Amino acid sequence: MAEQKAFKTAGLMKDLMAKYYTKGKESREKGIPVAWVTAVSPVEIFYAAGLFPYYPENFGALAAARKVADKLSMVAEARGYAHDLCGYARCGIGDAYADEHPVGEIVKPDLLFCCNTQCGSLPKWFEVASRFYNAPYFLLDSPQIGNEPDKLCEQYFIEQLKELISFLEEVTGRPFDYDRLKEVLHLSNEACRLWNEVLDTAALKPAPFGFFDACFHMAPIVTWRGTQEAVTYYQALKEEVNERIKEGIHAIPDERYKVYFDHIPLWPKLRWFSDIFAAHNALVAVSQYTHSWAYSFDLERPLESLAENYTEEFVNRCFDYRVQLKVNFMKKYGCDGFVLFSNRSCKPNAYGLYDKRNVISSITGLPGVVFEADMSDLRFFSESQIMAKLELFFEQLSSR
Amino acid sequence: MNKAEILGLFKKVAENPDWQARQWKEEQNGKVIGFLLTDVPEELVHAAGFFPYGISGGNSRLERADAHLQTWACSFVRSSLALALEGKLDFLDGLIIPQTCDTTRMVLGIWQHASPLPFLLNFRVPRQVDRPSARNYLIGELARLKEHLENYRGSEISAEKLKKSIKLYNHNRALLRKLFTLHEQNPASLSNKQLYTVIKASMLMPREKLNELLTELIKAIEQETAVPGNRIRLVISGTLLEPLEILDFIEESGGIVVGDDLKNGFRYIDGDINEAVKPLEALADRQLNKMPSAGYDIARNPRRYFLVKTAEQKKAHGVILLHLKYCEPENYDYYDNIQALEKAGFPAIRIETEYGTTSLGQMRTRVQAFLEMVGGEING
Ligand code: SF4
Ligand code: SF4
Repeated sequence: MAEQKAFKTAGLMKDLMAKYYTKGKESREKGIPVAWVTAVSPVEIFYAAGLFPYYPENFGALAAARKVADKLSMVAEARGYAHDLCGYARCGIGDAYADEHPVGEIVKPDLLFCCNTQCGSLPKWFEVASRFYNAPYFLLDSPQIGNEPDKLCEQYFIEQLKELISFLEEVTGRPFDYDRLKEVLHLSNEACRLWNEVLDTAALKPAPFGFFDACFHMAPIVTWRGTQEAVTYYQALKEEVNERIKEGIHAIPDERYKVYFDHIPLWPKLRWFSDIFAAHNALVAVSQYTHSWAYSFDLERPLESLAENYTEEFVNRCFDYRVQLKVNFMKKYGCDGFVLFSNRSCKPNAYGLYDKRNVISSITGLPGVVFEADMSDLRFFSESQIMAKLELFFEQLSSR
Repeated sequence: MNKAEILGLFKKVAENPDWQARQWKEEQNGKVIGFLLTDVPEELVHAAGFFPYGISGGNSRLERADAHLQTWACSFVRSSLALALEGKLDFLDGLIIPQTCDTTRMVLGIWQHASPLPFLLNFRVPRQVDRPSARNYLIGELARLKEHLENYRGSEISAEKLKKSIKLYNHNRALLRKLFTLHEQNPASLSNKQLYTVIKASMLMPREKLNELLTELIKAIEQETAVPGNRIRLVISGTLLEPLEILDFIEESGGIVVGDDLKNGFRYIDGDINEAVKPLEALADRQLNKMPSAGYDIARNPRRYFLVKTAEQKKAHGVILLHLKYCEPENYDYYDNIQALEKAGFPAIRIETEYGTTSLGQMRTRVQAFLEMVGGEING
């Protein structure tokens, strides 16, 4: 990736993310409430309610990518928050108490909304933040479901969406606009469709686009999902990827293998990883992570459809479902092996990987490896240990 | 049996956690369904004719679990899984795991692969408990659990059976609470460790037998004359009480535990099930109204204020926060809890605990130092 031609769209991304932060500030000035929200949550409701949704997880990822996660974390640790908590939470809590803000201050919430499909760390972090910022907190609770859609959990989700809407009506003093919700859902659909079409090009051999590119280009699908901006962005990205296909520009210079990666990247080492894989002619093609945003809403049944999409998301699923999902991705993208990242920060995605590795290998016959680190904090990063595991993996790949 | 014999029996049960379950299984030819502590409606399991068995973690060979679960998972779940892998839970026919954190949410699949059981089910408790949706959902989830138990058993659980089990458990909780009060009034006749040993043992033995023993024990203690003593009154807070030795350390330094919010402590025996309401609704209400715990967001009863209130009501001199290492939910609560307690004038200390720890010396020193400080404040 190092020597590869940079995406033109990257410039657009910078503008878009700058605009996002400006919008946060403007909202504050205009008296539009800032709502903290979580990545896999029905943000569509917030756009429809005319609030500004802010993603503190992004703040954590940014701090991680700029290699200052440990500094912010230590401010939290000094207060007794342990270093084994999610790194995003440690960064967010650390920033609240910190005197120095190496990546700028986190945007303060007027209200907080957490959907716990993803994990139990976010709700606890948001509880802490709601006490710290003295802002009301709404938890949308999503019990884990098994292999099949689950009516009980969907019904619970729908009831809570209604409770959420009443809560927001109270905050904004206006009735909720269901027509606007339809528009937002339509925009979400469009952005998700385009995003997944871009992701799918990683199945081409050689591919114009891979997982590390996706990590770079995913911010808008998280933060701007539900707006025209996201749609415009992914239209541009898709066009550029199509041009690359025509011009024969590939994600890595000499793609020989495709690899499945689980799950979140190590933000401070993104470049290090992408270079190592490229040097071994392996394209990291796919991860369940970047595919989290693949919603398809039925505009005629907005609440039901939100409930289906969000409860059936893989982060809300059991062990076996997740194994099958990974296996399906490996098949769809023609992977030759898989690398599983046991991320200390992210317990729900890390726990089970040891067994999953064995199960996946026995189903697919592909070589796979599990390594340990933290997605944001380099204090838990051992280059030699990870290299040793990856070297072994590359050997297995090449002997296939 | 006299008091010493009864306490001896409870101690033996707690020290040999599989003893009673194995014996029951052999005698009754019945099925034992384990559960991880403790937000599980045992009444349903009991009404199905099964033996609800509280897995209380173990002290050795945690590394057995290392091939399946990261070493930075909490040692309660690691040691429980290790017990299963060692064959020490081979009498279990089933397992119910309440999903109160990411670890309990993810461990079921691991368990299924590492140590399969015929009956393995998540109990998906709601994590927000204030809004009406939580109650509706929980009633549905309880019905799902009931249905699975019925399928496993091959016949319906009658309303009558369920009501009987609820009554039995209510009685049991009332007796245990009574014991708690007696301990508070007369610590000389029931020590900290003896009290919590009984609570631990209560999850490991048949309820019917337990209630008989408790009734006798209470009678015996009531006959003793209370020895007034000037003890340092403590509230302990956390997820799980482990190791029990910490109670000895408190005792040695002149302390008495007068309240707690632990899953294997007062939180387990607090609150009854309304026998006048439909059983599943009544079970749901107890769960939703339990005292605060880190796994739940309870806006109407924030945990830090609950702790302050408990410390006030119990006239505590200090609060010990037990933090089971790697227990994420608990860790997020800690700082604000301690701030609130200190602001309200209650000295508090955090002590990190772990299943399988061998070095208790440091813990003893810290407990002693804390009690000295707190004790100094009472006298001065
Ligand atoms: S990284 Fe994992 S634990 Fe942290 S917020 Fe995301 S899903 Fe939750
Ligand atoms: S709540 Fe804490 S102690 Fe209990 S299983 Fe979860 S992490 Fe472990």
